[in-house]
Amino acid sequence: MSLLFDISLFQLTLLMMAPLIIACLGETIIERSGILNVGIEGIVTLGSVTGFLLTYYSGSAIIGCIVAALSGSVLTLLLAYFSITLRANQIVIGLGIFVLGLGISPTIYRLAVGVVQSIPQVPTLKEISIPILGSIPFIGEIFFAQNGLVYMSYFLVAAVSFFLFKTPLGLRLRACGENPRAADTVGIDVARMRYGACAVGGLFLGVAGAYLPLVISGSFTDNIVNGRGWLALMLVIFGRWVPVWSFVGALLFAYVDAFQFKVNALPQYAKIIPPQFLLMLPYVFAMIVLVQVARGAESPRALTRPYDREARD
Amino acid sequence: MTETAAARVEMHDVSKSFGQVRALDAVDFEAAKGEIHALLGENGAGKTTLMNILSGLYRMDAGRIAVDGREVDIGSPQDAIAVGVGMVHQHVELIGNFTALENILLGREGARWKLDVEARRSSVEELAANYGLSIPLDEQVKTLPAGIQQKVEILKALYHGADILILDEPTTMLTPHEVDGLFSILKSFAKGGLTVVFITHKIQEVLDNCDRITVFRGGRKIDTIPREEATREILVRMMMGERGMPPEGERPTGPSAAREGHPALSVRGVRTSAKRGVPLRDVAFDVPRGLIVGMAGISGNGQKELAEALAGLIEVEEGEVHIDGEDVSSLSVAGRIARGMSLLPQDRIEEGILPGLSLAENFVLGLHPHIFRRRGIFEREAVHEMGRNAIAEFNILARNEHVPAAHLSGGNIQKTIVARSVMLAHTTGGKVMIANNPTRGLDVMAASFVHGRLRELRAKGAGVLLISEDLDELCLMSDRIVVIYAGEILGAFDGPKYDIYRIGALMAGQKQGAGS
Repeated sequence: MSLLFDISLFQLTLLMMAPLIIACLGETIIERSGILNVGIEGIVTLGSVTGFLLTYYSGSAIIGCIVAALSGSVLTLLLAYFSITLRANQIVIGLGIFVLGLGISPTIYRLAVGVVQSIPQVPTLKEISIPILGSIPFIGEIFFAQNGLVYMSYFLVAAVSFFLFKTPLGLRLRACGENPRAADTVGIDVARMRYGACAVGGLFLGVAGAYLPLVISGSFTDNIVNGRGWLALMLVIFGRWVPVWSFVGALLFAYVDAFQFKVNALPQYAKIIPPQFLLMLPYVFAMIVLVQVARGAESPRALTRPYDREARD
Repeated sequence: MTETAAARVEMHDVSKSFGQVRALDAVDFEAAKGEIHALLGENGAGKTTLMNILSGLYRMDAGRIAVDGREVDIGSPQDAIAVGVGMVHQHVELIGNFTALENILLGREGARWKLDVEARRSSVEELAANYGLSIPLDEQVKTLPAGIQQKVEILKALYHGADILILDEPTTMLTPHEVDGLFSILKSFAKGGLTVVFITHKIQEVLDNCDRITVFRGGRKIDTIPREEATREILVRMMMGERGMPPEGERPTGPSAAREGHPALSVRGVRTSAKRGVPLRDVAFDVPRGLIVGMAGISGNGQKELAEALAGLIEVEEGEVHIDGEDVSSLSVAGRIARGMSLLPQDRIEEGILPGLSLAENFVLGLHPHIFRRRGIFEREAVHEMGRNAIAEFNILARNEHVPAAHLSGGNIQKTIVARSVMLAHTTGGKVMIANNPTRGLDVMAASFVHGRLRELRAKGAGVLLISEDLDELCLMSDRIVVIYAGEILGAFDGPKYDIYRIGALMAGQKQGAGS
């Protein structure tokens, strides 16, 4: 079936993959420090509204992305404050952040835009074909004729991998997620590392949010994120907290997503397959794969556990 | 008192409270350069709390600390490292998924941007060689045995520049051979000018290995005496105070005391699945009636799995378990209890009690099918009465039978569980008792209480299987000792006298050439 191997399908796959992997990398950094951020969907939503509005008013997607990143960071730091300083239950706080992000984003949008006849639009990012690489047939056309944020996502996969596994700071971060007391006893400031992870991880989540209006839709709608945050959370587990494997997972899911998108657009299939069924596909796929992969996945040992130096055990 | 050298560390008037509990009350402590200094005391005496303050984990409420005569403010482990304090914790604080080398380098990686583990390897190896510590640097720490993990943590402390080395109960997880090895290393450290402080509750270790001894009791320092002035009697008196040592109790007599008839418990070729922890491999032994059979082994060699397989909590894939001649392999937990088996679980808080329920309600767990006359209806008054009686009979420190079990101290929780098992044994005929580390973490008095009850069961003709990591306890209690290693029984020794080095060699998995 040529439909499955279409170049434009693969191009769309990478386009869909980028927000997933960017969010997933942010979450990986946060979780590696020992904080489980289940508020991710809400934080990504906030990123998409701030990213959209700032791009709309400033006319610059770069400014939009920067502000989205900062807003993501701020909301994640709220989670950090509750889970690190106040040692609250991370699941409860995370769900609170989720609801907060989901609720506050349309509010911000309506406050800024008001009630209007025509929905505000921003131009979506253009593809930039990379010289030489972009002209390699097939591979080049798929990987190197994309928008700038997709290239950034490639770079971030490499950068986060390097950071986690090849730098002293990465070693310390992982130590905080595995055994904070052991990290503490060698002089690592566990709270600072965790705050840092949330601040930086939050930047990623914000950018992932901004990507959706800036690349995919050109406008903001209330449920623009549509579960991608949760999907990123699952991809962290799928990748077993290793960025490269999450990248593979993101490609797989994005492929199924892109596939349903393509098929839905073809009238000859629409008659046979109900569109709702196709829309469901990526999520069913996610569930099936995760059930298989998550078996035996080992999370950072101290994930969700607040650290209290004076706690007696 | 001998002031041999200038004090390397001094602590004055140190106090520390946890909520309402005063853990340390104006304590003084000092240790000199080049000595091995023992901190001796019962569980809860405040030894570990004091050293956690010195290593920066706890902040003291009041007091002063000086290193080399200069007053220092230790507010975090970082500050402690800066003045040369390194601590090896009782449950080693290492990261299981990291290699030994990564664990050692953590926090002092020697590079800012690029982690280069290899570049630091030679300096770590050199340090290890200097101090006589041989460690497989590239193994993941979680795969290493406890004795090696401890060495990793010692080397880590040295790599971070510690010359005041604190070890918290370093021998609990080690075989007798490893204990000897550890102390010979520590002695060479002290000769080389390090200050070694080791925390323990074992008097013999103190007498064998240290230069000075500081004794703690109930959050206060009793005294510091040099080794030459110390005898077992003096130390016991300092440690226990007015209470004195509990009576030793009846010594085991050996297997000849076994009573006629079917063994109370017979384990025949039991195998379990690797999915349920350490797989048991053809485990076979008997616990005759009227004997205490001790099971020696280092933690994590299948003891927990065995206890659970016997109790019916995990499935036996092959082999049989007999109680008093009857095959109970296919019976449920309740079925086995009804036939006279009772279990003292290892983790008393997690598995032993329902923390939120009252003491009385905790007593009737397991007993409930047997004591209620009106089946299916909770006889509140009967339960309360039983609770009151048990509190009195077993001398449990609790305001009344209504307090939630979680509010009790560890020793009283264990008394509660023991009381329940003993009552259960009375009710069901009490043929077999499986006690898994029943005295771990208890003070001497509570431990003696538990021992007394186990001896009572033995005297009544029950078979007791006593699983313990404390070889001294096993030698004191058992008529026979079997050794478990990696889910396999490696040998059996008949009491009442035991050669702990031969047992220790088997505990370390050496099937042949046991002993030295």
